[in-house]
Parts: sequence; C-alpha cells; structure tokens
Amino acid sequence: MTDGRSWQGNWKARLYERVRERGYDSLTTFAEARPTASLAALAEELGKDDVAGVQVLSGLLAEAEQRKQVTRFMRDVLVRLLSQSIPDGWPGVLDDANRFNVAKALGSWIAYTPETHQERARQVRTALLATPPPPGWRPLGPDDGLLRTLLPDDEA
Amino acid sequence: MRLTALGLGCITAVLSSCATGDGRTGFSGEAATSYRQEVGPAVSSFPARESSPSTPSEPGRQFVTHTRQAIRSAIDDVERSRAGIAGSLHQLTDNRRLSGRANGVFIRHIVYGSNQLQWLHGALGGVTTLADVAWGVDEPDMGLALLRLTGPPLQAATSGATLLAAWTDFLNLADAVLRQCPSYGTERLYADMNRVQQLIEPSMRALSSLEPAQVEAAAAAMPELMGQLTWEFHSIREGARVATERADQMMAAAQLVEMLTLVSALRMSLPRLPPAAPATLGVGLVMGSNGVMVGSRLAVSAEWVERMRRLVQAGVLSVPAVSAAVRIHAGQVMMAQAHQELPRGVREALGDGPEVRGMRVTGKTGAGMAESPEHHVLPDEFREWFEKRGFTGAMSIDQFCVKLEQAHHQAIHGGGNWRLGRLWPNEWNRMIMGALREAEITAGRMLTRNEILNIVGENMKLYDIPMNFIPGRRR
Repeated sequence: MTDGRSWQGNWKARLYERVRERGYDSLTTFAEARPTASLAALAEELGKDDVAGVQVLSGLLAEAEQRKQVTRFMRDVLVRLLSQSIPDGWPGVLDDANRFNVAKALGSWIAYTPETHQERARQVRTALLATPPPPGWRPLGPDDGLLRTLLPDDEA
Repeated sequence: MRLTALGLGCITAVLSSCATGDGRTGFSGEAATSYRQEVGPAVSSFPARESSPSTPSEPGRQFVTHTRQAIRSAIDDVERSRAGIAGSLHQLTDNRRLSGRANGVFIRHIVYGSNQLQWLHGALGGVTTLADVAWGVDEPDMGLALLRLTGPPLQAATSGATLLAAWTDFLNLADAVLRQCPSYGTERLYADMNRVQQLIEPSMRALSSLEPAQVEAAAAAMPELMGQLTWEFHSIREGARVATERADQMMAAAQLVEMLTLVSALRMSLPRLPPAAPATLGVGLVMGSNGVMVGSRLAVSAEWVERMRRLVQAGVLSVPAVSAAVRIHAGQVMMAQAHQELPRGVREALGDGPEVRGMRVTGKTGAGMAESPEHHVLPDEFREWFEKRGFTGAMSIDQFCVKLEQAHHQAIHGGGNWRLGRLWPNEWNRMIMGALREAEITAGRMLTRNEILNIVGENMKLYDIPMNFIPGRRR
C-alpha cells in the first residue's frame, strides 16, 4: 500500500531506473530472478512506496510483446499467482476453500492476460480442472514442464 | 463549581456502562443503583494493553481483531440502552400512563420516540454486519477499511441513543407532571413538549441520515444540545413545582416529594442550572489512572477511554465526536463553549495526535486532492451482479467508493499515459469484473461476499488503490 504515490510523476521511468539500480537490464530478467515472488512483492522490492504491482505486470507484458514471448509471460504470471494462492502446491482435494484459492489464481490470471490470449488462458484452465496436476504440484518458474505442455511457446 | 450529576437521567443510564463498565444500562429496578457507582471512588485500574502473545507476522490481523472487539462493545452499549428506552416507551403507552392522559395528545410524542428506535436498530445492524464481514476477510487492510465504514453509523447510533434517552426522560417528566401537578396545565406542557421536540429534531434527523458529514456535525454539537435540553428539563420541572405550590400550598411539599420519588425511580437526576459566573470548559477534567475524572468523580472509565482510543486510532471515530461524548459524560453540557477542546492529557489518552487527525477521511484522500473523483471499486454498472452476491444494505456497493487522484484515476481507467500493451485490458472495471467472473467459472459456483472482497482487496493492492472507502452516492 503506497497510498497512490506510485502514480505520481513518470512512473515508467522510475520503474526502469529501479530495475537498472538493482543490476538488471530488463524488468523480465529482474522478475525471472524471483520466479515465484508475487507481483506485489516485486513491486515492493522495486519501490516500497512508489511502485505498484500492476505497473510491474504492465511492464512485463510490454517487454514480452517486444520479445514475442507473450505465452512465456503468461506462464510467468500464472506461477506467481499460484504460489500466492496455493503456496503448498496443487491441493489433493478440491474442497470449497481450495477450490476458491485455485479459482482466485486462475480468474485473476485470465483477467491479467491480454485479450488476444485470453481464450488460450481459458483452455489452460479447462485442462487443469479436467486433468488435475498431481497433488503438491508447484511450478517454480515459466519453464515448468507441465505448464510448457499446457501452454507451449508459439512465437518465433 | 461541581456538577454532581448529568443533566438528564437516561443519559446517565446510557453512559453508565461507560463509567462503571458493568454493562447494566437497563431500566429495571435493580439497575437503578448502578449508575451511582460512577460517583464513588473508582476502583478499576487502567487496563493492561492486550498482552496476549502477539504474532509478529500478524499485527494487522490483531489490530482488526481488537478494533472489532471495541466496536462490538460499543454496539452492546447502545443496544442495551436502546432496549431500555424501548421498554420505557412501551410503559408510557399504557392507558394509565402518558398515552392515556389528556385525551391522548401526547401520543404523538411517544410515537416520535418509538420511530427513532427503528433507525437506531437499522444502524446497529449495519455496524454489526460490517464488523462481522471485516472479521471474515483475509486481508487485514480490507478488514480495517470495512471497520472504518462502521464509523458514521456507529457514531449516529451512539449519539442517537443518548438523544432518544433524553427525549424519553422528557416523556417521563410529562407523565409525572400530568399526574402530580395538574395545575401546571396540559396546554402548557404540550407546548413545552413540542418545543423540546423541535430542539431535538434537527440533530435526530441528521443522525438518522447516517450521512458521514451530517453525523459528524451532529455528534460534535451534542454537548451544546444536551445543555439546552438540561435547561429545558429544569425549567419544566421548576414550573411544575411553582404551579403546584400556588394551587395548593398545603399539598405542595408532599406532592413534590412524591413526584421526585417517582422521578428518582426512573433514575432522573436533578439538573442544575449553570452558575452565573462563566465556567471554563475542561476545568477539573483530568486523565487519571482510572479514567477521566471531574474533580473526584469518574466521568468515563479507563476501559471506555481505551476502547475509544482504539476506535480513534483505527480511524473509526473522530476525536471531536469522542470528545463531545466525554463532555456529556462529564456533565459539562451546561457550558456553552461548544468548540473548545478537552485538556490535552485527555485528548491524548483518547488517541488524538497529528497522524490520527490526518487519517480520518471525510471526503478527500489527503492534502491537495480536493477535487479527486469518486470511484466505485465495485463497478456501478454491475450493481445487480453484486446485489445478487450479498452487496446490499450496509454492504451496498455505494459503500465501496474511493477518492483517487486525477492521474491515478486516469491510469486505472486505461487513459492517459498508461497503456503499455495495445490490447492490455487494464481498465479497472473490466479487469476486476473479468477476475471475478472467471473465478466464478473456475469455482463452478457463485462467489461469496467475502471471497469477492478477498479478490477485490488483492487487486486494489495491485493497482495501489488506497484501502480507504468513502461511502458514495448511488448514481
């Protein structure tokens, strides 16, 4: 919570300045060095008082689009949301509470996905629910095997 | 000078639980002695700050818990006095009481009182709902934001109950005068009651609106109003005494005693008119280890002060509103210095401080944001969707408005210098509705109210939207 200060001034310049200060040449490399950190945690590390999580998200997408790595970006974001919602891994039993935790992660994930890719995100959801991963499955980064199967890179 | 008792008996009843902490505020006979306890030497000691093992990882959660406890205690207090008032009003509707006398001309005054019980009940219900939901949400910031929403209705109910208790005192006085002092004249008494009702009405209306700014102003003006009411009470009773003496010198003394006995059974205390010499507000008001003292009398207990401190520091109640309550408790309602502050020591004990003064938002996000647009966090266009999921009444989506700085507002609406990706659905409303609907599809069922708040709270953090709700208006 930064009480809205993250939107004052040129926040994009600020974001990249902080990334460089921490020794990274892009937001993506900064984020991939912390593959399971939540977007909020990434933002906090870049500026406790003046960087918002959605700015990090937006920056990551912008870089992914430039690199033509949007599906990788999607996997990256899903990993962060899952480790936030179900930190102990995929639940063995989808009781009401677990079902909500999974729903929260997947629902937000689809909403954060650019429209061009939302349908694919929904298909991934369907696949995950129809054939659930083994209990305790906990992807640790965008290169997780199961995630790559469900959402392979399709860009050059 | 010393005001030995509060202006009006029922007010004392309302407040007695504050001072004695015994929770007895009912109108039953056994409770009749309880409010006197506040006069005696105070025995309670300043309560230790909650020393239960605190989990350092969850200070926010604990803060929510303690604040909610304080709110619940405050609700209990008001609920008890409300029940007492309801009982008293019901008794007056007996045909042998006020209701059945003077051809029933005073029925409308009783009905006016009864009508107030309804909005008090509604306000307390809303506070309870919000406090319970706050307790249920996972995110402490969201919990605290919900608890802050209880401020206006809680303040309205507290002040409203005090005012209604005073009105009930007047009804009981009218009842006694009709019975014991027929020579006072029904017409005169009727005019008196109309005049008193007119005094009460504007504040009562402001409080019953539950509208934050109106409630705040009415609460801060309470001591002055209570002073006026005390004066009115005194003057009616004096008039009755004089009229009785003139009509029947022989009977006067006996009747007066009888009347006073009756009044005293209803726990009326004798109000005293202010001394001719101007009194300075706050004289003799000292924060001691037992609470706020007026001379040797305990005005409010340390427990009450501690509870108010919690509510002030959580941003639920304001310092001016709580100070007004202390002045009423202290019996300083007779003094006209409406806008003077309490002594510093007392204010500090109540949690006053620069950070608290800056925290409570009544319409602005902060300095320099005067023209901040108001934004429904739960999108207005989807009102029905939220209503179906329990966002009604005290939890209506109009409660969940935030003030945002212009740049921020544009940013979350996808305007301005925001879009990094061309088709990025970054517009808040679309994003949050997308997240909620996709979560429902994933869960295969409707989300509960708390689950929605959970998701909304997380996304507010992501967007850095200040977790500070300002009840807005329906568009």
